[in-house]
Amino acid sequence: METVGFLLDGIFTSLQWFNLALLIFGCLIGLFVGAMPGLGSVNGVAILIPITFIIPPTAAIIFLAAVYYGAMYGGAISSVMLGIPGASTAVATVFDGRPLAVKGEAMTALTAAAVGSFVGGTVSVILFTLFAPPLAEVALRFNAPETFALMVMAFATFVGLGGDDVPKTIFSILIGLALSTIGLDLITGKPRLIFFNIPGFLHGINFLVLAIGIYGIGEMLWTLEETKGKVQMSKLSVNMKEVGRAFGALKKTIMAMNIGSFLGFFVGILPAAGATPASLMSYGITKQLSKNSKEFGEGVPAGVVAPECANNSASTGSMLPMLTLGIPGSPTTAILLGGMILWGLTPGPLLFTQEPEFVWGLIGSLYIANFFTLVLNIALIPAFLMVLRIPFAILAPVIFVLCVTGGYAPTQSLHDVWLMLLFGFAGYILRKLDYPVAPAVLSIVLGPLAEKALRQSLILSDGSMGIFFDVSEKPIAAVIMYIAIVLLIMPAFGPLYRRLFKKKQTA
Amino acid sequence: MSITNKITVKRAEIAVAVILALCSIALMIKSSENRITWNAEENMGAGFLPFYLSLGMLICTILTIIKFVLKRSPQSKDDTPFIDAVAFKFIAVTIISLVVLVLAIGYLGIYFSLIFFLAFYLRYFSEKSIAFITIFAITTPILTFLFFEWMLKIPLPQGVSEPLFYPVYDFMYGGFSFAVKMIFIILTVLLPTALVFLTTRFIK
Repeated sequence: METVGFLLDGIFTSLQWFNLALLIFGCLIGLFVGAMPGLGSVNGVAILIPITFIIPPTAAIIFLAAVYYGAMYGGAISSVMLGIPGASTAVATVFDGRPLAVKGEAMTALTAAAVGSFVGGTVSVILFTLFAPPLAEVALRFNAPETFALMVMAFATFVGLGGDDVPKTIFSILIGLALSTIGLDLITGKPRLIFFNIPGFLHGINFLVLAIGIYGIGEMLWTLEETKGKVQMSKLSVNMKEVGRAFGALKKTIMAMNIGSFLGFFVGILPAAGATPASLMSYGITKQLSKNSKEFGEGVPAGVVAPECANNSASTGSMLPMLTLGIPGSPTTAILLGGMILWGLTPGPLLFTQEPEFVWGLIGSLYIANFFTLVLNIALIPAFLMVLRIPFAILAPVIFVLCVTGGYAPTQSLHDVWLMLLFGFAGYILRKLDYPVAPAVLSIVLGPLAEKALRQSLILSDGSMGIFFDVSEKPIAAVIMYIAIVLLIMPAFGPLYRRLFKKKQTA
Repeated sequence: MSITNKITVKRAEIAVAVILALCSIALMIKSSENRITWNAEENMGAGFLPFYLSLGMLICTILTIIKFVLKRSPQSKDDTPFIDAVAFKFIAVTIISLVVLVLAIGYLGIYFSLIFFLAFYLRYFSEKSIAFITIFAITTPILTFLFFEWMLKIPLPQGVSEPLFYPVYDFMYGGFSFAVKMIFIILTVLLPTALVFLTTRFIK
């Protein structure tokens, strides 16, 4: 019952005029960012976070969560209309969305995507409301060793479940952590890694510099290369009859909605996974379980609903560990988590007791944002189609302007802008060679927190690493650590398993 | 054979892995300026974590190089160009113009640098008319100024152009009413637009 009271308070918080205005504005920006090929929630949030410094944290998180949310809806628009995913989270939406558009049923695809997103979002936010308070209560008992173990597990999930090249993934994690150690050592106070004695390094590398570099500059370079500034759009007729027919077609997609909502939520909670794998998995499983699985890929609404439901659900799911444990569930939430630190909050379970307005305002805003985004999405489809016609050669410099100003604003030093350019260029090259970049962003955010937790734990244990592995002393930390170890060594068994399995098949 | 064809994915992979290995070694050397030891008696040295993190990075790059030599990674067998010629032009011009932009910000200040950056970039990549480009290149910095300096109260670098902004600041923080300020904002955005529009019409 207590939860209901908090939730109502949260909904009222998000309905205050200032918060509501930011929420609607955020949804619109999110839809726009999601719809533009090459830009996704993570780019939008990374580029926009510097402008939230002057508003209260609750309003800031409501705004950014709405951007995150809207982007999940918006991604479908360009997947369907252009055949290029608006964001990586909408890759699976292209599989059936594009064929539907080619068949002349673009409106069905767009409606299916919007409704799928709404259902996924609603189910996941209800699950979120149910799970978050008890999880936060458990997490309140966590001390430094448990926190450190959780962070190790977050890194390990990238290795175990990320699916990328293992040495490259570990490299990405380590470079993020190494970058986070630049600046003054938090215990001895000694300067570390001050390259060429440039004073700019003394204040460390702000995670935003890396995030904007990689997700702003790097992503733009990547998209410029992919599209070369040109795109091809499908035709669309918008009238109420079409929308009505599209809703009729949704009856057959209930299974896809169920799979997408629940699978998406739980995949979203995992740090390495996030919305992209959730949507791909949801599409795959729905296809396998469907009676008419052969029609998938040729344009069925269920093929659009499944991934769209899952990506919205996963985006909410990824906020669960962010709020309750202080561990982000996706690159976007990693940036949000970094934002919380900049706003002066301590991410983690204490938020529930110390900053209830912030936490419940965010949760309440998800319910409201979900509704508004659905309405705005369907109502503004013609407007978004106009937006999609903006040539990339015009959009790109605007994004660059936002990146440069956004990189400068937090610390007001050009040093950071140079670093941002460097990271952007390096991120672009590394991404082309299949180095995953998300782990680096996650680890630069978590790095200082992990270091603090590690050193506090070691002070507790008089310098013994045993504190993380002793089941009788610290059972939770030990169990999490062992799970992390399993995740870390899992990829090593992949080829072995495949070899055994293949032998069995051939035998 | 053009340069872009010579740089294959295969060559890029090994070159990047070697560069990253060298960077990791440099980081290790840099970290060891501080104490890198740690045992139960004394606290962790300030260089301990960066040193071992960069050692880990070095090991990862060595593994990547081994995978390359054994031809176990997809990149090690890929002889296609790392980047095609058209895209290379896009990327190279973008990067150079960004570097020039940031250099110019340090001297000219952000607002005037942005005008040149936007004008160049749009002229080079888009097929828009000069009138459009001029309006766009002038209004974007104005909006940036209004947003950062007025709304967010975050000063952006102005370099040598700083004295030009003093009258604007006097107006912004002067005792004018909200309505007067709003009219000023609308005019600052509309005026250049109208001017450019009229001039191009007149010239035609």
